[in-house]
Amino acid sequence: MLKPTNPSGYFKAVSQVVSNQLNVGKQIAVLPKQTKSFAPPPNNSFIALSRALPNGNVTISVGPAVTSQVRWAHTDIQVPSWDNYRRDSTKKTDVKNAETEESRKNFTYLMAGALGVGSAYAAKSVVTHFVSSMSASADVLALAKIEVKLSDIPAGKSVTFKWRGKPLFIRHRTADEISAEQSVAVASLRDPQHDNERVQKPEWLVVLGVCTHLGCVPIANAGDFGGYYCPCHGSHYDASGRIRKGPAPLNLEVPHYEFPSDELLVVG
Amino acid sequence: MGFNETVYNLIFKRTSTMALACVASAFFFERTFDLVTENLFEKINEGKLWKHIKDKYQQ
Repeated sequence: MLKPTNPSGYFKAVSQVVSNQLNVGKQIAVLPKQTKSFAPPPNNSFIALSRALPNGNVTISVGPAVTSQVRWAHTDIQVPSWDNYRRDSTKKTDVKNAETEESRKNFTYLMAGALGVGSAYAAKSVVTHFVSSMSASADVLALAKIEVKLSDIPAGKSVTFKWRGKPLFIRHRTADEISAEQSVAVASLRDPQHDNERVQKPEWLVVLGVCTHLGCVPIANAGDFGGYYCPCHGSHYDASGRIRKGPAPLNLEVPHYEFPSDELLVVG
Repeated sequence: MGFNETVYNLIFKRTSTMALACVASAFFFERTFDLVTENLFEKINEGKLWKHIKDKYQQ
């Protein structure tokens, strides 16, 4: 901006310079040619250093040669030490890292493997306990078997026991009954089973006392065939427990049993 | 070849061998762990279990 050195004279000149045909305006004020010069501040001065720093809002210019990062950090920031997190073998300055690589990997995998072993043990234990909880408990198992002393049952007699909530017939058959049942023609039976398939020892018949018709309990030593007779609907079973007459469709069921000795019978 | 290298190459390098090693170790670990914990339990409960007082009640 130009600043007149003598403003009052300048204004006077303006009032006089209004020209017309008669009076040619003449230049009465000569503006001095102004030159401006700034002495560069010394490089280490406060001003120079403050100009070198970015100030105000930093904006990012876009361009191939323009970096978009302003680094504020200075050399007085320390690099953190990670020594607490490093393996001891990597801290040695006289050993190459590659030489201890396997031992470091082994340690890591050993830890992971130990976790795997523990997990496998825990999983197996959980599954085992769960599965074993589904099996019968000890009090149920104790009732599941019945022991019968065979010498207490005379020949020709049928004795009833309670086994798993159901009646169990144990019949000491006489020689006549055995030979009679052995000679029955299998083809003539409703549920064809030979006598040998139904007994382990011919003297002992072991059957469940549940009529296969509707579940009544048959009466021993009764009926047309000398075996069992169901009073509910008149089913006749022979001395081998086979259905011979009446509505029942199947022979009396033979449970699993065994003879641990000659004097003892275990059913179940 | 050092011990570490052998172990790494034989077991840990492949997932299959590592899983196999885990299962095999679990087999032995189970027996050892069960034995140790069972003995510890019986030691802590010395004199309270049926097997310890059986003699008093059975002829």
